[in-house]
This record gives sequence, structure tokens and C-alpha cells, in this order.
Amino acid sequence: MNRLHLFSVLRTAVQRSRAAQVALLAGLWLAGNFATRAIGLPFPGAIVGLGLMLLLLGSGFVRPASVRRGARFLIGEMLLFFVPAVLAVMDHAEWLGPLGLKLFATVLLGTLLVMLGTAFAVDLSYRWWVRHAVR
Amino acid sequence: MRFADAWVSDAFWLAATVAAYVAARALYRRRPVWWLSPLLVAPTLLLGLALGARVGYGDYFHATHWLMLALGPATVAFALPIYEHRTVIRRNWPVLIIGVAAGSAIAMTSAWGLSSLFGLSESLRLSLLPRSMSMPFALIVAGDIGGVPDLTAVFVVVTAVVGVAMGEVLLKWLPLKSALARGSLFGMGAHGAGVAKATEIGGEEGSIAGLVMILSGVANVLAAPLVVFLLR
Repeated sequence: MNRLHLFSVLRTAVQRSRAAQVALLAGLWLAGNFATRAIGLPFPGAIVGLGLMLLLLGSGFVRPASVRRGARFLIGEMLLFFVPAVLAVMDHAEWLGPLGLKLFATVLLGTLLVMLGTAFAVDLSYRWWVRHAVR
Repeated sequence: MRFADAWVSDAFWLAATVAAYVAARALYRRRPVWWLSPLLVAPTLLLGLALGARVGYGDYFHATHWLMLALGPATVAFALPIYEHRTVIRRNWPVLIIGVAAGSAIAMTSAWGLSSLFGLSESLRLSLLPRSMSMPFALIVAGDIGGVPDLTAVFVVVTAVVGVAMGEVLLKWLPLKSALARGSLFGMGAHGAGVAKATEIGGEEGSIAGLVMILSGVANVLAAPLVVFLLR
């Protein structure tokens, strides 16, 4: 069995196993954390890991099929991973009063502004782009 | 109910968290309405359980905090949608940059302005700033700028639920011509839940929403030092 064959066997195994794909993504996250600490990069390890993954995909060294199932799992079930932080509300009984209304109003009005602003900025610039790029 | 053994109690809360999540997801599959979103139902179930069992947040978090480690690999996983939609990015990059920049700027300034207007404390104001980002990015930025990540987590969830409901109404009223604008409205305004909603509206809207959410998250994490500088 030559090395090339071993590599393709490994690749097929990774493409079949979601757990192996999650392990691959976790490995890149750890590598990102390590790089951040060792070199003193100004970015968090997760972002460095994202960049590394993008490089691996872009260079063709890792095929999308080798991480697709793992990535869909991690992104799709993300609520499970952050629900422990959301339970912090239980320490904030004071939010049941006027303070909670103020917080809610901030989120509500802020989100309205974000949606309106983003949609109009994108729509206007898209129309401008279409008019000037494609004649 | 009291557990003598801390290990048993930790295992119980971990299992309860997974069970609440699975139950909330199953309920939403049966009745997909915004107020039954798993984002609301799963924490509410656990909140009721924890209050009933008289368990404090510290103990609950101690038992379940390592679930949050998976947010790191999940952030790395965002590389795949970026790569798979590289032609969308290549075709629309100026518009995407404008959308991400405008959306992020409005998100931060509106959170800061409104919370100052309401006289909220500095730690609340800082925790509100990253509320329009996808959770893993929001938690990183909250820590970077001196907010409280746990509070940010709550605001991020409320933003998602409110944003999906509001986005649906806005879409009926706004004369938005492009899938690009409809997608970025949801991706910027309601992050993960918004991406799911945008995907229901159309495939192109969904991929744009996902891209805008991820690109704005990455951009905001990279820009966090600048925000810290501006706040001083």
C-alpha cells in the first residue's frame, strides 16, 4: 500500500464520518489558539482557525465534502452550545421591572434601525452597481 | 430535589440541557411560529427547571459551560459557507462590504445611543453593543470591549427572536428589489435565526443572509480594538 493510497483511504473515511470532521474543525480551532498564543497574533484563535480552514479549502488540500457534515452539525446545533450562557437571565430578576422594558426597547428599536439601514444601503448600492457595471 | 454528589448533579444538568434543546427543536418542527422558536423555548424550559430545583446560575453554568467550547470549532466551520459562496462574494463584493459596514455601524451606534438615552449602566451598554452579531462572534467581542458575555448572550437571543418577527413585517412594506437587500436585512438584523428565515424566503436570500452574518461577525471581531479605542 503506497502513501497516496493511504491518503485517499483516509480522505474517504473523513468524508463518511461526521465525528472525524468535527475533530478536524476542532483541531484547526486548537491550532488557531496555539498560533495566537505562540506568535502573539492580535486575533482570537477561532478566527485564525477560520482563516486556516479557508486556506485549506482554497488551496484544494481539503475538499468541501471532507468537512461539510461536521460544519453543518456545528452550525446547525449552535443553540445547544450557547444555551448555558443565555441562562444568565436567572441572575437578573431586576429585569422584570422598568429596566427590562428599557433593555427590550433598546434591542427592538436598534434592530429596526439595523434592518432598515442595512436593507436600504444594500438596495441603493446594488442598483447603483447594476446601472454602472452592466450597461 | 438535592443531589449529594456534585458529579451526579453536573451530569443531570448537562442531560437536562440536551433534552430541553431536543424537545424545543422537535416542538418548533411541529409548529414553526416565531414565538415557539427554540431560542426562546429551550432556555425557558431550563429556567423553569432551575428555578424549581433552586439551583443558581453559577452551579448550572459550572455543570454545562463546556458545551460552549463547541462554539470555537463552530466558528471555524463558518469557513465552509464562505468558501462555497465564493462566486456570490466575487460578484457582489462592493455591495456586501457596504451592507456589512453600514449594518455594523448602525448596530453599534444604535445600541450605544439608545442605551445612553435610557440611562443604562456602562456594563449594560457595552454588553448591548455586539447584540446583532452571531453568538460566537458576539461573545468574543463582548469580552474584548469590556462587556459581560453572559448578558450579551441574552441580548443576542432577544435580537434574533425580535428580528425574525420584525423582518417578516418589514419585508411586506419595504420596496426591496434585490435578493441581496432582503438577505442582508435578515443576516445583519437577526443573525442565525434570520438566516433560517431568509432561507425560507429564497435560496439566494438565504446564502446572502448567511454570508452577511459571517462576514460582519469576522469584521466586527477584527474591528473590536478600534471600538475599544473609540469608546475611550
